[in-house]
Amino acid sequence: MSATTADSTAHGGVEPVPSLRDAIDHAAHLLPSQGPLNAFVHHNTLHALEEMPFEDAVVEAYHTRGAQPYMSEAAYRRAIEAHRIRVEDIEAVLAKEPNPSILGDNQLDRGSLRSAILRHRVGDFSVANIGWHLEEGDVRRRLNRDLDDFTKRRLINDAVARAGESKDPEAAAAQEIFAAARLRVASAEPARPVDPVRPRDGILAAFGLDLDEVVHPVLIHLCATFLDQGQAFWPMPGRDQGLLRAARRLLALPGAIYPEALTGLGEEMRRQEREGLTALEVIERVFGIFGIQPEEMESVIGAELLALPGWPGMIRHLEQKPAAAPHERVPFSLDDYLALRLTLMKVGAASVAAKHDVAPVSRIWRVAVSRPNSAEAARQAAAARLAETAQVCGLTASELANLDERSMARLLRELEEFDHLERRRILHLAYERRHERRILSPLAQHRRSIAPAPPPKPVAQVFFCIDDREESIRRHLEEVDPEIETLAVAGFFGVAIDYQGLDDVQGSPLCPVVVTPQHAIHEQPSAAHQKEHRVRQSRRKLWAQLAYGSFLSSRTLVRGWFSAAFLGLLSVFPLAARILAPRPYGKLRRWLNSQFLPAPRTELTMMRDDARGRAIAEGLQVGFTTQEKVDCVESVLGPVGLHERFARLVILLGHGSTSLNNPLEAAYNCGACGGRRGGPNARLFAALANRPNVREGLAARGIKIPADTWFIGGYHDTCSGDIELADLDRVPVSHRPDLERVTRSFREAQAWEAHERVRRFDAAPKGSDPYRSLRHVEERSEHLAEPLPEYGHCTNAVTIVGRRAITRGLFLDRRAFLVSYDAAFDPDDENLAKILSAAVPVCAGIALEYYFSAVDNERYGCGTKLPHNVVGLLGVMNGASSDLRTGLARQMIEIHEPLRGLYVIETTPERFLNAAKRNAEVLRLLENRWVRLATMDRDTGEMQVYRDGVFEPYTHSEDEPLGQAPTSADWFQGKSDHLGLAQITRTVQPMQVGELVGAAG
Amino acid sequence: MDLAQLTTPQLLLLLTVALPGAAFLGLAIAWLLGWTGSERVISRVTGLTYVATTLSAFTLFARMLGQSEPSVTVPLGPWFEVPTYSFPLTLFVDPLSMPLVLATSVLIGLVGTFAQRYLHREKGFLRFFLLLHLFGFGSVLVFSAGSYDLIICGWELVGITSVMLIAFFQDRRRPVENAIRVFAIYRSADAGLLIGVFLLHHAAGSAMFSELFQGPWPGQALTGLDGASATAIGLLFLFAGAGKAAQVPFSGWLPRAMEGPTPSSAIFYGAISVHAGAYLLLRSEPILRASSVAAWAVIAIGAVTAIVGGLSGRAAADVKTALAQASLAQLGLIFVEIGLGLTWLALLHISGHMVIRTLQFLRAPSVLRDYHRIHAVAEGRIASDELYYEAMLPAGLRAWLYRLASDRGHLDTILDRFFIGPLLALARLLADLERRRVSPFETPRPSARLAPVLGDPNGRAEGGHHG
Repeated sequence: MSATTADSTAHGGVEPVPSLRDAIDHAAHLLPSQGPLNAFVHHNTLHALEEMPFEDAVVEAYHTRGAQPYMSEAAYRRAIEAHRIRVEDIEAVLAKEPNPSILGDNQLDRGSLRSAILRHRVGDFSVANIGWHLEEGDVRRRLNRDLDDFTKRRLINDAVARAGESKDPEAAAAQEIFAAARLRVASAEPARPVDPVRPRDGILAAFGLDLDEVVHPVLIHLCATFLDQGQAFWPMPGRDQGLLRAARRLLALPGAIYPEALTGLGEEMRRQEREGLTALEVIERVFGIFGIQPEEMESVIGAELLALPGWPGMIRHLEQKPAAAPHERVPFSLDDYLALRLTLMKVGAASVAAKHDVAPVSRIWRVAVSRPNSAEAARQAAAARLAETAQVCGLTASELANLDERSMARLLRELEEFDHLERRRILHLAYERRHERRILSPLAQHRRSIAPAPPPKPVAQVFFCIDDREESIRRHLEEVDPEIETLAVAGFFGVAIDYQGLDDVQGSPLCPVVVTPQHAIHEQPSAAHQKEHRVRQSRRKLWAQLAYGSFLSSRTLVRGWFSAAFLGLLSVFPLAARILAPRPYGKLRRWLNSQFLPAPRTELTMMRDDARGRAIAEGLQVGFTTQEKVDCVESVLGPVGLHERFARLVILLGHGSTSLNNPLEAAYNCGACGGRRGGPNARLFAALANRPNVREGLAARGIKIPADTWFIGGYHDTCSGDIELADLDRVPVSHRPDLERVTRSFREAQAWEAHERVRRFDAAPKGSDPYRSLRHVEERSEHLAEPLPEYGHCTNAVTIVGRRAITRGLFLDRRAFLVSYDAAFDPDDENLAKILSAAVPVCAGIALEYYFSAVDNERYGCGTKLPHNVVGLLGVMNGASSDLRTGLARQMIEIHEPLRGLYVIETTPERFLNAAKRNAEVLRLLENRWVRLATMDRDTGEMQVYRDGVFEPYTHSEDEPLGQAPTSADWFQGKSDHLGLAQITRTVQPMQVGELVGAAG
Repeated sequence: MDLAQLTTPQLLLLLTVALPGAAFLGLAIAWLLGWTGSERVISRVTGLTYVATTLSAFTLFARMLGQSEPSVTVPLGPWFEVPTYSFPLTLFVDPLSMPLVLATSVLIGLVGTFAQRYLHREKGFLRFFLLLHLFGFGSVLVFSAGSYDLIICGWELVGITSVMLIAFFQDRRRPVENAIRVFAIYRSADAGLLIGVFLLHHAAGSAMFSELFQGPWPGQALTGLDGASATAIGLLFLFAGAGKAAQVPFSGWLPRAMEGPTPSSAIFYGAISVHAGAYLLLRSEPILRASSVAAWAVIAIGAVTAIVGGLSGRAAADVKTALAQASLAQLGLIFVEIGLGLTWLALLHISGHMVIRTLQFLRAPSVLRDYHRIHAVAEGRIASDELYYEAMLPAGLRAWLYRLASDRGHLDTILDRFFIGPLLALARLLADLERRRVSPFETPRPSARLAPVLGDPNGRAEGGHHG
């Protein structure tokens, strides 16, 4: 084999290890950083590029990853037709750009050129499609279809003057202009061949063999079995020694049959094993063989990683956070992965060299990769572009022909620079500008109409998460019972805990990912219910053994034979029931569960080992001290401004989402709880706030909770709409009537909320019965075949940080994260700083993940859910062998408008900056334009918008009026698109209605 | 005339076969006339079709229960006739085919209902249901054919719909590649069925079950075939059945077929399509009984598949490969049962396996939740590292077996290198010879782009650019 000689000659002359280390670590930033699917944390897909301005970063990623930076031009074009983008938006965006003159005498400048191109539907001509456009398309057949009559006439008259009358004057004009343009495009550079970045590119060009196709199946299989968290019955032998060694030992075994392009793999592995090479040594050696220079290393490694980004991304993620692995912590190492990948590449290249009898490997791949091209086609494409631009700018054929050389050169350069990336950038900015006006103008109008006086004491205060999906139920709850007040804080309710529920084996963190919990909380059966607990656990174990032994093990040979041949027919019942009657089946299952699994009354451990309970369990403190409890409660009640005015009932609802047959289920959970369900946090918070010594501590800090106020924690399921309250048996008898009233309102609000969600579902029943809608969403969460259980954060676009007063009675279409904050209680902006440090990265992460998954669902997202295949309990592949897919599924972004999040903060610009400067990440996101920002003065309502480093007053006009409707349902009934903001009149002036106040008692 | 007279068994059987075909034709014609397919109409048609199919199949089944020698024959008239020979086409069900016809109509109905929701708003919604109905027609035809000739018709419909659903996501490269590979394997294996049927006509003068086999199934007497022809035909049918049922050496295609949407994986590779191979052998049971060579070959292929598939399934870390391997391993056991003449057991095994595997394929995305729950109950791993059979083997052999299992017995590579490679080389050689004969002065110049891929011995590196 020629590889052997290449091996010995090319070895040596590589850089010392540290720079290879740096190259790997640096290139690793390109990898997606999504963890195992049992928890799902939304994050900015291009987090690694946050140091760059947004517009540069997306283009950079377009070049390195081939991923789309914005929506397609056609999508923006449709937005223009639907008036989602208006001409004034395009003009406003262009007005902020540099505007050099192109043709002399102010005839044409960049702004008017770009505006003309964007306002008319201009063809996209390229070397690839120009042939078609010339033969079949309109280039020589008609003028641009969006031209006004005056221009058209001028162009035609000129053509008649030049070439005389013709039967089809429009075609003649088009031909004249194209001919003139063709003459002016003297030379157009054909695309030059490019040098291959990595050996595979060159070998593909020279020998027609794609090494990725050869290497990936082997590599994917090894990665999957190595990382497997317990899906395979037979784990990979020797994987506790790392991927490289385990794979090497397996592949080195004699007697295997390899694909033709990998002959010699066994021999190579045996040699590596004999010499005991480490991963870095292997990489160095392979680089030596390929003749890769030190300065190329980083780009080669980057390109190798991006050829199959999902698997190494998961390895990197787990290497950095081994605790994220759900069950098996094997030695994860990106070095191992790279060494294995490069070894396979090297073996493939060596076998190509041997087969074609060429050497050395270091040279055979250095072949320029040509791109299909021809100089004539390039010129024709440039000419077509020039011709159509001339039309939309009103330049006649004669004018084009007579243009002086320098103007012509400038015009051509301008056209080249205004490529699809630039066009889409401008269109996107216009798209976002219209969105901004659609939010800010109505918001300002609504602000003017609200009453300055604070409403009287409410019947109940209900805290939700800031999540955009909770916006609707808050609104409906206030519509159903205007005396209920709702508030929102991040859904972990200030208690960052490592929580272990009754049925869990280990604790999991329930807090934002940036926080590391310091406290462990265990759910335990209360003393009187120990027996029920034991029965429950033993029955669950029995069930698990049954399920494992019969259903899951039917995949094995022997047990499978038994269960298929003798029990198989029985599974027709669950199969039919699940498909034909999912809701009754779900009810039946729950009923059976309740019959066979007793539910013991439980309590949280912090209640028992109180102040002194500081047993250290795995580095976590069990329970909170009184001091810490007070801090936790204050951290929630302080910023929202709830210091006195407490209602008799204060309810907190954490949230999550339940759906069946959905590997991405965790992506619908609470982002503030690290992609888990936030019920336990709410329950814990309520328990803390109900303790007398905590209330004493709070009173000392100015938060006076009256003795007749009772806190209740609960859980809201954003998919089925279900609301469950915890520890109801502890509610004092005196509060039962209040509770009854609130639960009744919950029930009604749930139905209306479901009704509002259902308007978006194509397959849902249309009609006006909200309870029918509630049944529909319940069915969605129980249905085995439902790829779209709910829309998740699909409609998120805005984050409003401020008092409920500015959003109460405002229909926000489930599009806004709402954070309760009252600047009046925040003299030094400390609270705002805390809110920003959590809300900006979390909400921006969600908005940006949705943005990227929506603009390029195949590259940034994970494509359609339908062929997904769960692998290793970690992620999904397409079919039986593909890259690990990361990002969001097509079903999750279907109706998403890709937008950077717009933040509206109810404070002054000065105070905002005072708070923001304390957090580098917030500033970075803001300055690099990954988020959009506006402020609204708490006292005057005056709005300022942050643009390129300065705040400028928002010029509010009536272009986006605030709608009005008596109820939300009146506004959305029968519509399925995104809706504008509207004032819900029933909720805005509730307190004049006397009839409900009497009932409150 | 009362209802009982109207619903004669013959009519019921005809309905059961014709309904899915009619649904396909109706939708296809509407589509050709420019209809784009509203989901509601397609769902309605699908629902009605399979409710009706299932009802008529059940009624037929109930009627047959009452008969002493339960079988129904529907003559469809001859395909063609010459004075001394004719090709009659008949539909025929008996205790072997009736359960399979029933299972097919129920399972396609259920999977169709599942898919209405699962494929909601998917671009290929209409395409999926067109193919599903055609497949339904084809598979009911396979199970209710009265002769091997008619089986071929259904068999080919099952094959082509299967291939087209693997390539459902036709704008992606990998599904199309895998579909083409499956297509090639299907076609090769189908040759076994075709040649077998030719031989049957030649040796026995008919391919009608009623003329070949006497008496009720199982234990039918074979007429008109001598031992040698029985062996040849039996082996050819085994070849065909093994291809369809993904037995060794064809097993590699089954995991590749997982590219389509989950419901099509369920109905084809969990439920019906793969079992058609077993049905063919079960139907040919008298032929196998007449030839011990063929019977032992069936047992051998089945046993090897069961072992390789079982091992590979245990080592698979993704749920669809694991299910695919489990399917083919159970099919291996079914083949063994058929070879041993345990016909009733094999039939029970087929029916049970169809249902449970369908449910498992449909529930495949739930594996994440199921496992985490079971892990939680078991306070860690339920199957600990020490608790698997392989741990009993010596370490060296264990690693070697794991290697074999994780590459699925190297079956794909073996096919590639030792069958497809040489075959392509031969084809190229013949092409070169022909070209040389046509124009002796022109030097052969194989396509530069394909040469390295196809392993051309003359394909030197040209090191340049290819357009």
